[in-house]
Amino acid sequence: MIKSLTVVAALGLVTGGAALAHHGWGSYDAAHPVTVSGPIQTLKYENPHALLTVRAKDNNKVWTVTLAPTFRMDSRGATEKVVSVGKTVTAYGYPSMTDQSEMRAEWIQIDGKKYELR
Amino acid sequence: MEHAAPAIFVALEASDFALGIRKSLWLYPAANIGHIVALVCFAGAIAVMDVRLLGGLAATTPGRLLVRARTFAIAAFVGMAVTGAMLFAAEASHLAVNPVFQVKLALIGVGLANIAAYEFGIRRAVDGLAPTVPMPMAAKIAGALSLGIWVAVAACGRSIAYAG
Repeated sequence: MIKSLTVVAALGLVTGGAALAHHGWGSYDAAHPVTVSGPIQTLKYENPHALLTVRAKDNNKVWTVTLAPTFRMDSRGATEKVVSVGKTVTAYGYPSMTDQSEMRAEWIQIDGKKYELR
Repeated sequence: MEHAAPAIFVALEASDFALGIRKSLWLYPAANIGHIVALVCFAGAIAVMDVRLLGGLAATTPGRLLVRARTFAIAAFVGMAVTGAMLFAAEASHLAVNPVFQVKLALIGVGLANIAAYEFGIRRAVDGLAPTVPMPMAAKIAGALSLGIWVAVAACGRSIAYAG
C-alpha cells in the first residue's frame, strides 16, 4: 500500500522535474545574457506574461521577448502605451534554452528609460 | 515542444472570457491567489478527514468530524474549480497539451473516484462508529490513497509552469 502510494506521489514530482522547463527562469541561459535592440514589431500586453517581438537592428533576427506579469509592468511604468509597437526597445535578458528566438527580459529600455522587470 | 491543441481549446483561449482574464491587470493574479487559498483550505479539510480515516484523532466521533470537514472540502473544491477554470481558459491551448497538466487532471479523476468509492461504499461502515473504535481497513486505504493523490495533484499543479 505504502509503496504504491509513494509511486503515485513520486510520479507527479518526477514528471514535473523531468519535463522541459518553459516558464520558470530556470530554462533561460543566465550565463549568456543577450542585449537586443530594435523596433517593436508586436506586443501582447496580457497575463500571465506580456510578450513583445523585436527585430534586432544589427542582424534583423526577430526575437520574442518574454516580459513580466502586466500588473508588475504597469506598476513599474512600463504601461501598454509606453511599450507600444513601432518604438525602439533595448531588451537585456537571457536566451531560452529550448527556443532559439525567445528570451526573457531582465530589463527593457524605451525612450531612454529603463524598466526592471524581474 | 509545442503540439497543436484541439480546436476547442484554441477557441476557448481566443474567447472574450479568456481574453478578458489575460487583459485585466488583476484578474489573472487574483485567480492565481484564489486557487492557492482554496487549495490550502481543501488540503486542510482533506487532511483532517484522511487522518481520521487512518485512525488518528481517535477521540472524535468519526461520523460527526467527517461531515463537518466534508462541507469545507466541498466549498474549497468549488473554489479551486472556478479559479482553475479561469487560469485554464487564459492559456487553454498550451495547458491542454502540457503533459504535467494532463497527469494532474488524471490524478484529480483518480482522487474523485476514491472519494466516490468511499462515499458510496466504505462510508456506511464508518459513520456509525464510536470514538476510539478501530477503523475498517477499507477506510484506512481510502484515507491513505486520498493523502497521496491530493499531494501529488498539488505537486503537479506547481510543476505545470516548468513543463514544456
